[in-house]
Amino acid sequence: MTPSGAFRVAAAAGTAGLVLACLLLPLAGTRDLITAVFFTFLFLVLALNFDILGGFMGYMNLGQGVYFGLAAYLAALLLNTGWLDRLGRADIPLAIAVAAAATALAAFGFAYPLFRLSGAYFAMATFGVVLLIRSLILNFPGVTGGSYGVYVSPRHYLGLYPAYYLGLALLCASAALNLGIARSKLGLAFNAVRESEPTASAIGIDLFRAKRLALVLGAVPSALGGGIFGLQAGYIDVDAAMGVDKTLLPVIMALLGGSGLVAGPLVGGAIMRAIDIVLKNYLHLTFPALAIYGLILMGIGLLMPQGVLNFLRQRRGSAQPA
Amino acid sequence: MQTVLDLALGGISLGGIYALAAFALSMALATTHVLNVAHGNFLVLGAALATLLLNILKLGAAATLAAIVACFAVAGLLFERVFVRPLLGKTPEQILIGSILITFGFGLSSEALLGYYWARWVDPQPSFSITFPWARLDLGGVTLSGTRLFILVMAAGLIAAFHLFLTRSRLGKAIRAMAQNYEAAVILGMNPRQISTIVYLLGIVATAISGVLLILAAPLDPYEGTRFTLVALTVIIMGGVGNLPGALLGGVVLGVAEVVTSFYAGGVWGPVVYLVVFFIVLLIRPQGLLGSRAG
Repeated sequence: MTPSGAFRVAAAAGTAGLVLACLLLPLAGTRDLITAVFFTFLFLVLALNFDILGGFMGYMNLGQGVYFGLAAYLAALLLNTGWLDRLGRADIPLAIAVAAAATALAAFGFAYPLFRLSGAYFAMATFGVVLLIRSLILNFPGVTGGSYGVYVSPRHYLGLYPAYYLGLALLCASAALNLGIARSKLGLAFNAVRESEPTASAIGIDLFRAKRLALVLGAVPSALGGGIFGLQAGYIDVDAAMGVDKTLLPVIMALLGGSGLVAGPLVGGAIMRAIDIVLKNYLHLTFPALAIYGLILMGIGLLMPQGVLNFLRQRRGSAQPA
Repeated sequence: MQTVLDLALGGISLGGIYALAAFALSMALATTHVLNVAHGNFLVLGAALATLLLNILKLGAAATLAAIVACFAVAGLLFERVFVRPLLGKTPEQILIGSILITFGFGLSSEALLGYYWARWVDPQPSFSITFPWARLDLGGVTLSGTRLFILVMAAGLIAAFHLFLTRSRLGKAIRAMAQNYEAAVILGMNPRQISTIVYLLGIVATAISGVLLILAAPLDPYEGTRFTLVALTVIIMGGVGNLPGALLGGVVLGVAEVVTSFYAGGVWGPVVYLVVFFIVLLIRPQGLLGSRAG
């Protein structure tokens, strides 16, 4: 067996073991731990979604959290109208599905102004989307509760255990989505756009359609995650639904792990969540978390802009030339 | 009449501030291809330092101004040396990822630390503002806000100084040459590092001063840095990278739009209008940056 074949078997076995551990965790874990792992699932989904556009295509979306937050709001507001009450138990899945569909439509629409830009301008414009949606939510308090946020009626709460398993399923689906894209013609097309847009265009790829597709594909799982999050939390406001953590942590996770690799966002996400849980739950730092995220971003940019996995791979490559 | 005059003066003076801040960003962008996402944070930092020196330490206006210029000249030098210099001359993709990670990280950290420690040590409700005792000018029947007039004169003066520097001085011409064609400028013997240093030094000082001018008219909170980066970017997209008249026009359009919107639709909508303008401009006049790989 070749070394890389052995590595693949080990990675597959490790992944299966991790998924099994996650499946069994609710039997043994405390409520706090289950909640922390549930949030980890959601952040990993966001990081994987970010990487569809950011890693495969080279377009850095600083507004991944918008799709999460928008769907969280839409699902909660839709349930609060009472229109779905006659559906009985089907109301929650339907609300989340409708919210995700509407969010995908919003992403579809945002593609038009956003993809007029590229490079760092594109990145800043996606952050502009975050500020725009935040302002709209805050400035229409009659509909959205403004700065007071939205309460979900207790009838529509999603329990922690169902939410946990939905989150796990969503994470597996998102990882499968990224893996599927990476191994398909679509992934090759995305990579071609990243490497050279004129060349990609010359070989028959419709640049705008490819970019729009990547944006919408990345928005749907995030939106489903947002819907689950809002109904599990029972209360959302702009900071909970699309705060700086929801928009920036996915970027940090994907770039820290290694953007463009399917495992990159997962590895970076695990590292960031571990740092976050230790900082918040054990060290009780009286220091703003955002300052630490900022320092980590700067550190990655200055020391290993290619991410941990690529960094390790290059080190290994230079130590034992093949 | 009085309302129209107030709105016009308010909008144009705000536009002057935006134009100044945007031009500083666009000059750095055109010469180094590094997009400084933390640009707006320097505006907020300038406002914070002015509030600290004038209101809390009770320094005079002249001493405050001198201290701000000195501090931000040093800050500009350090910022360029530590964060921008490592990116110079890399591939566009490396510059893109590096500049976003590094400058966004810097902006995030500086904002979080400023807000946190200001709330802890100075004022639990952080807000930066300074007042300047300028009476309203009476023009027979209508009056003009002296403060806004002062802001307008200062912003216009600084923009004019920038223009003279760029068109008349040798260094200014080198900066414009580098903005126009990087390779040709390097072949002709211009030093990209020297120009990058000068551009960041001048740009960050100008941005800090635009922050000081801004809080003469309206207070600012520590978390508005990113908003001003986006405002500056909107102005650049409207006017074109490295284009001073374009920045002036874009700034004034945004300033007037913001002031008029705040007046008629309520203060909460003023700070949103630039985003709407931004996306509309992208939809209808994209040629400004379409396909640009710079940055």
